[in-house]
Amino acid sequence: MSKGFASNYRIVVLAVGIFLCFGGVGVRLLFLHVIDRDQLVRYIDKARRQVTEERARRGDILDSRGNVLATSHTLVVVGVDPLVLRKEDESKWPELASLLELPLAELKKVFQTKTRPSQAEDDTSEEMHDIRWAKLSENVTEKAYEKITALGVKGVYGERTYRRAYPHNQLAAHVIGFVNKGGTPAAGIESFADFYLRGQDGWRESEKDGRQREMAQFRTREVPATDGFSVGLSIDSAIQHIVEKELDAIAKKFQPVKATIIVSDPNTGFILALANYPTFNLNEFNKADMAAQRNIAVADMYEPGSTFKIVASSGALNEGLVSPESPRFDCSLDKIDYLGKTRGLPREDHHFAVPLNTAEIISRSSNRGAAQLAMLMGDVRFYNYARAFGFGQLSGFPVGGEVDGQMAPPSKWDGLTITRMPMGQSIAATPIQMHMAMGVIASGGLLMRPQIIREVRDAKGERVYHFDGVARSRAITERTAETMAYLLSLAAAVGGTGAEAAIPNYQVAGKTGTTQKLVPVIDSKGHSVLRYSDREHVASFVGFFPASRPKIAISVIVDGADAHAPNGIAYGGTVAAPSFKRIGEQLIQYLDIKPVADASRSLLVMGGNKR
Amino acid sequence: MNKNDRHAFVSQLVVYALVMISFTGSIGLGTVWLRNQIARTANSIRILETRTAEVERHLAETTTLIAAEQSPDVLIRRNAEWRLGLVAPDFRTQIVRISENPVDRMAAKRSREVFARGATVLPVKFVLGDIH
Repeated sequence: MSKGFASNYRIVVLAVGIFLCFGGVGVRLLFLHVIDRDQLVRYIDKARRQVTEERARRGDILDSRGNVLATSHTLVVVGVDPLVLRKEDESKWPELASLLELPLAELKKVFQTKTRPSQAEDDTSEEMHDIRWAKLSENVTEKAYEKITALGVKGVYGERTYRRAYPHNQLAAHVIGFVNKGGTPAAGIESFADFYLRGQDGWRESEKDGRQREMAQFRTREVPATDGFSVGLSIDSAIQHIVEKELDAIAKKFQPVKATIIVSDPNTGFILALANYPTFNLNEFNKADMAAQRNIAVADMYEPGSTFKIVASSGALNEGLVSPESPRFDCSLDKIDYLGKTRGLPREDHHFAVPLNTAEIISRSSNRGAAQLAMLMGDVRFYNYARAFGFGQLSGFPVGGEVDGQMAPPSKWDGLTITRMPMGQSIAATPIQMHMAMGVIASGGLLMRPQIIREVRDAKGERVYHFDGVARSRAITERTAETMAYLLSLAAAVGGTGAEAAIPNYQVAGKTGTTQKLVPVIDSKGHSVLRYSDREHVASFVGFFPASRPKIAISVIVDGADAHAPNGIAYGGTVAAPSFKRIGEQLIQYLDIKPVADASRSLLVMGGNKR
Repeated sequence: MNKNDRHAFVSQLVVYALVMISFTGSIGLGTVWLRNQIARTANSIRILETRTAEVERHLAETTTLIAAEQSPDVLIRRNAEWRLGLVAPDFRTQIVRISENPVDRMAAKRSREVFARGATVLPVKFVLGDIH
């Protein structure tokens, strides 16, 4: 190396300079990484660290054909910081108001209110506080928000939030239920199947820059959100629509207090439609009163009346105590001896001059005949059959706050109960209980569990769970069920009480019910007591078709329609049975239900090849 | 150590120091470049995620709109508004149910047609006598 490369002095200065620089950097690093480390890390954690929640999308609720009944979509909550508004943006305010669907005056009021008094309870000073955020609208769609953003009004910004949408409005409202604005499922399938629907929120830990933007390279931990599963119901939108239109028609014509219609597949117990009047719009649940939100079909009880006669007649037939033709019962008697005591028999709507056999007791709906059938069985056996038909216990319907009805055990019966209960008094049942009890006959003797959820699918559409029909127990033999179906088809034919339900060329089986309501009256001692009213009735028709090969069971129950019913009494045969027929006729088209060839022959040989 | 040796040693030290500084600097710059690339990639991923979320939001909104348009009430209203005149067939008068097998029925019908046509096209003539 040449001597002239560098002088000693220069080399030393350069070396010292370099080492001083390195030393300085080293010292600074020592302070940053060792001495002040804890303090700086705390500061950074506070200033830069952020945990972002990633919201899972709530699953959809679908009908049996895949139509969306409930879904989640984003809406934007748009607000303003009035303190940063610019004068030059004022010309854009009218367009902004129009996009927000707000009156311009209201928008201006929000924009020009820049302070507010303290809202803290303990703050008594009159000091005004700056408003840094005022809500303008909470239902802005994505499209509208895009246009709002494009307007570029400084200080106006939005926050996205998932909202539940019910595209069919009031359709199946009592079954679907709703999620309230706080995101809590409040009723129906939304609440019952929340575990499947809600999904699992995710989160992400990362850092943000000075402008509050995430610095994605500093993501440390990340748990992705798992979207909720979709729940497929057995409800069919088209059938539900038919039923709700029929309820509308009933409401217009009879102006009842309440009404309910249930349609199901009796062979599986799956509910195809369930509707109540009054009802409500799921998208405006906050405007609906509590009465409209009540699922009458499962939460309200009524005395089932004559429809309950299927229990006494089925039981007597099943026990082999009677056949459809014999013996005959004198239904003109006012009193009868039972277990050594004379019991008063209930009133009849018609006088039966000649004794009736079991077939006639059903088709002509004799109260005294039903009472004598039950007496033939005895208290305990009759009670056991009522239990076997599902009365006095929960049916297992998952939504709506089901009640189990009221049916006292024989030990608590008074002397008249055995004469009144067979005609559907002294017992309270829910519409769904009565519907499933009729389903026992339609399904060949099995008491099915009413089900509403068919399947659960994950976010990718793969089926996770699938549900089949579930039989709770066998109530009567298949042979008895077939015989009862035949006898009930006579009740819904010309000459029967349910003739209005008959559909030409189709075998309809069913039973009318006209129940006197218990109303409070003041007795002679001034006490309020419950008495059966002659003016207020619950009209019902519960049946199925085709009788020999049941495909559909329909229950129509109308409460308090007397004021607008013919002759001022709401009979099951005139108020409910025609609705059964109209719904049945539409279902024949929609579900392509074929008539059973040669009705008379197939009814006689039903035992051979049913279903 | 003589003066020349000392100079050579110091010069060598300076060269090594400069080489080391260059090397360390290169590593530092490489690290910075790498981190920058990581940041840019992460940012691209974040933008893509945002875009995906945006598309999903639009998809959900469109699904909601489609579902609302498929509601029975809306379909009935559209049928009236657009004068489509769609009505369900009357099952009493417009639907004829065939209980027999339609294949057999159509085969029999076809056979009848064939035989009927054959009878007119190919008449069989019998001539008596004239036998040699």
